[in-house]
Amino acid sequence: MPLKNKIEELKKRKEEVLQGGGEQAVAKQVAMGKLTARERIIALLDEDSFNEYDMFVEHDARDFGMDGKVLHGDGVIIGTGTIYGAPVAVFAQDFTVAGGSLGSMHARKITKIMDYALRMRIPLIGINDSGGARIQEGVNSLAGYGEIFWRNTLSSGIIPQISVILGPCAGGAVYSPALTDFVFVVDKISKMFITGPEVIKSVLGEEISQEDLGGARVHAQITGNAHFYSESEYECFEQIKKLITYIPWNNTRKARKFEPKEPKVNYNIEDIVPGDPKEPYDVRDVIRAIADDSDFFEIQEKWAANIVIGFGRLNGETVGFVANQPLVMAGVLDVDSSDKAARFVRYCDAFNIPLVTLVDLPGYLPGIDQEHAGVIRHGAKLLYAYSEATVPKMTVILRKAYGGGYIAMSSRHLRADFVFAWPSAEIAVMGPEGAANIIFRKEISEAPDPEAMRRQKVEEYKEKFANPYVAAAKGYIDTVIEPSETRKLLLHALEVSSTKVADRPWRKHGIPPF
Amino acid sequence: MAYSKLDDKNVTAFIPGTIVDVKVKPGQEVKQGEVLVILDAMKMHNRVIAPSAGKVKEVNVKPGDRVSKGYLLVSIE
Repeated sequence: MPLKNKIEELKKRKEEVLQGGGEQAVAKQVAMGKLTARERIIALLDEDSFNEYDMFVEHDARDFGMDGKVLHGDGVIIGTGTIYGAPVAVFAQDFTVAGGSLGSMHARKITKIMDYALRMRIPLIGINDSGGARIQEGVNSLAGYGEIFWRNTLSSGIIPQISVILGPCAGGAVYSPALTDFVFVVDKISKMFITGPEVIKSVLGEEISQEDLGGARVHAQITGNAHFYSESEYECFEQIKKLITYIPWNNTRKARKFEPKEPKVNYNIEDIVPGDPKEPYDVRDVIRAIADDSDFFEIQEKWAANIVIGFGRLNGETVGFVANQPLVMAGVLDVDSSDKAARFVRYCDAFNIPLVTLVDLPGYLPGIDQEHAGVIRHGAKLLYAYSEATVPKMTVILRKAYGGGYIAMSSRHLRADFVFAWPSAEIAVMGPEGAANIIFRKEISEAPDPEAMRRQKVEEYKEKFANPYVAAAKGYIDTVIEPSETRKLLLHALEVSSTKVADRPWRKHGIPPF
Repeated sequence: MAYSKLDDKNVTAFIPGTIVDVKVKPGQEVKQGEVLVILDAMKMHNRVIAPSAGKVKEVNVKPGDRVSKGYLLVSIE
């Protein structure tokens, strides 16, 4: 046969695989408001950059009449491509082929591209849209999940791993995304749960819809499983592309440096934080007043909103911002906000991203439910993460820094490299009200007018301790600065710490409180 | 609603505190994110905001009231 004919045959074979699960299945996918796996890859990657592998892989199941069935690509597409020129490895489950169910060859394709991503030290993006295990393949499909989880763990902290939930992701399947760095969900399309509504109904008698149990909003607002939420798949892909610009290809590199840009003039840093410490404000405006081009890429925006995390740039270099949010629950640390910030700090540390921490918090949230929910254990995660991190750490105390919250928020004592405080900072063991009540209990109770004495003592305490100068006198903060000097000093700190050395004693790994 | 974290109609106190100000009246239309009540707690005048748009059905507090955690402040319909 002449080569020309063989090329024709190749084209024919490819054409067939490109049909996915066939016209009817594709129509169903479209009716559900979803793009097909191929459309997703094309939308996500740079134009014409995708190279597919294992297109002709076929399943090898024999039982239950599977031996006669053709499942194109075994329900998953794998390959490599680029995003804004940065190489990435991708897999996308194809729901039109046997519901994207995971059999052994399907899993082998996923693990192949995972191995490739790790070997080449490039980010991995997994698009999940699958009915779950392929029951006909029995324990082989469980083995497949296990192989994927093992690789997720092996790659953790070495290459960025991104999970995109664009359809159902239920049962064991949810644990691969949970092991990755960033999870993206889309309204009305993403569904994640360990046991679905039917099982919950039959076992517990509780009725709930898929959406209310594990829809996009649930994971973006309540569980914290999702990091990015969007209204459409295209918006989701834009978020992923933007994220890729902030992070390095792997843990031996720095993120790509951009052209430095001054913050926009409409963020006047001196006008953001109110003089009255009881007045809330949006701390993201402070970040925007500091960051290049006033650009802040927030992560987990809707969950545990009392702490704000995300990426921005200083002098073109990616930094991770962690900031208490006085606008939500007074910016307290609690179970969820500690967990959220701790994981982000560890992410930045693993991928050579310097940390900028903005402090304004009344402390840890008191309460029976917090104590019983394990605020000790979860709060400790944040102490651990900051103490462990060796990337440059810059802290700016904007206003309140009381008690355990002061220590936890990247204090000098946890080895922050630079600690700056604004003149509005109040750094003390506890708030004036509480402290005065304890220290002057006797004077207050024995005074002819205890309430007047109490107020007097609170004022005295406020005057003497609710300021940055007591901590500055001990060298716990490096300098008290004017708000307008913040960006200049952070840029300088970043420059000075670019050659930072922070040795730690050898260990296999630590035992963080999770 | 049975699942309190999904409830965007009944607005409750996230922590015990004192009501400083009430910004809405029953029957008033509110936008999502609009301030309903100012709650003094945790060294802050916390802005309690509308989790969803709608008409204010009930205002359960007045300035000076001390409220416990989970106390219903405002309901929206």
